[in-house]
Amino acid sequence: MKQFLVLGVINGAVYGLLATGLVLVYKGARVFNFAQAEFGTVAAFFAYWLIEKQHLPYWAGDLLAILGIAIVGFLVERLIVRPLFTAPRVTLLVATAGVALVLIQLQFIIVGANAVQIGPALRGIGVNILDVVVSPQRLLIFGVLVILGLGMGYFFSRTDLGLAVLATSQEPVATELAGIGTRRMSSFIWTFAAVLGGIAGVLLAPTGALFPGFMTITDLLPAFTAAVVGGITSLPGAFLGGLLIGITQGLGEFYFGSSTIVRGAANLLVFAVLVLVLLVRPKGLIGREA
Amino acid sequence: MPLLELTDVRTGYGSLPVLHGISFAVEQGELAVMLGLNGAGKSTTMMAIAGLLKTWSGSISFEDASVGRLDTAKRVQRGIVLVPEGRRVFPALSVTVNLRLGAWVRRRDRKALKERMEKVFEYFPRLAERRNQLAGTMSGGEQQMLAVGRGLMADPKLLLIDEASLGLAPKTAQELFQTVKQISKTGVTVIMVEQNAGALDVADRAFIMEKGTLIFQGAGDEELKATDLRAAYLG
Ligand SMILES: Nc1ncnc2c1ncn2[C@@H]1O[C@H](COP(=O)(O)OP(=O)(O)OP(=O)(O)O)[C@@H](O)[C@H]1O
Ligand SMILES: [Mg+2]
Repeated sequence: MKQFLVLGVINGAVYGLLATGLVLVYKGARVFNFAQAEFGTVAAFFAYWLIEKQHLPYWAGDLLAILGIAIVGFLVERLIVRPLFTAPRVTLLVATAGVALVLIQLQFIIVGANAVQIGPALRGIGVNILDVVVSPQRLLIFGVLVILGLGMGYFFSRTDLGLAVLATSQEPVATELAGIGTRRMSSFIWTFAAVLGGIAGVLLAPTGALFPGFMTITDLLPAFTAAVVGGITSLPGAFLGGLLIGITQGLGEFYFGSSTIVRGAANLLVFAVLVLVLLVRPKGLIGREA
Repeated sequence: MPLLELTDVRTGYGSLPVLHGISFAVEQGELAVMLGLNGAGKSTTMMAIAGLLKTWSGSISFEDASVGRLDTAKRVQRGIVLVPEGRRVFPALSVTVNLRLGAWVRRRDRKALKERMEKVFEYFPRLAERRNQLAGTMSGGEQQMLAVGRGLMADPKLLLIDEASLGLAPKTAQELFQTVKQISKTGVTVIMVEQNAGALDVADRAFIMEKGTLIFQGAGDEELKATDLRAAYLG
């Protein structure tokens, strides 16, 4: 069981990262971004191409992949979100689903339907945590996520830019009147969300097979649940929600058994947590905008 | 040379005209008060000056330069700052953070920012007592003070205040007018939109709007006293 717990925490950190991206976009545009997990998949494929095909060093491949997805995120905002700035949110919602579908189709066209694999960033034997052997790659994931979590905590509570993002989501008119261009903020939010998705993608890439849309299939739903559990507008909530969902899933796999692609029974448990939170604390665990 | 000058400004919402050619000027350092019944177009005028609403025709000049085509952020940079109707504080952020964000266009100069925040706390001691409170949990009057304070943080040359006294007790409203007077004495030019004719007590200049046009303007104690503005305003 310990093994499932430890792995659950690590998976949960990835969900937390995606969920943070979801919350960010939700705060900025009041829309659920169906393309959030695809930012991760695309970044993972970028990393695959750069590292395995172009033989770039690992760190360079990952950094360029994240840069690449940042550009994708920026373009998505410019070409799709911005023209819909004053459109009903449902329209934008459908548009984000469209972005996800287009990205998945592009992957089928460019990489094909076969699964590919990247070697881990760190090799070597694992480290023993609570009697569970954890691979260095998973430790790396966890370490990066902890640092990112702390970094974002600082960014959104101490820096002008981070606070301006929060302000934009709370009072767009007043934000505009303070001279903070809300359109530029929107660019920033989508680019940042894509980078968060991209980091999740390149970290996750070496831990399993890459196939078109893999993160949408396995991670979007848990990340969405994490975001809702955290209160949908709370960034720390999303991060904690991610951990909670990861652990729940780990426990589910322990009790119900697991299959790698479709975590059916475990996801049922995740869903149960979602319903429970919505019933007991409809505003989410944190339940305030932050 | 007036600080702000509007010449035959026309604008509206969609295809609906609201302002039918507004012309007026405000001198540097003046405290102007704009009165008018609900729907007269006061807020629309303020939004046009601040750049939230594009003008259809006419011109807006500020410090001798035409600003009518600039976006809001650029106007804030030039020193035109609007404290909007309905407070609009950032509810889930603290008083201090609200103020800090008000200084966005001047955020590079940390020292000046700190000094302005102290100044705001001097004008509104209530804000100082509540500096770590979330803005959304403050009383209506406190939020109004915060909105004005946030506007001051941008170090405005022209401060537009849209119905600051809305929902304030008469005594609190009078105090607020006095504070605004104090602010204007430091050299900040102010236009205060008001329903409360008590604001005339502190005014150097007054405007009355009706149905999208300016039906009265006058300046100086003499003229403001000689005209029975309250009667004019009340119709
Ligand atoms: N967003 C909008 N869309 C359409 N019409 C609007 C909009 N905002 C204001 N109006 C109309 O423009 C006219 C002027 O409104 P404005 O808000 O400028 O009046 P006001 O003088 O500020 O009134 P109040 O004292 O009630 O605040 C009104 O007839 C109003 O219905
Ligand atoms: Mg108004």
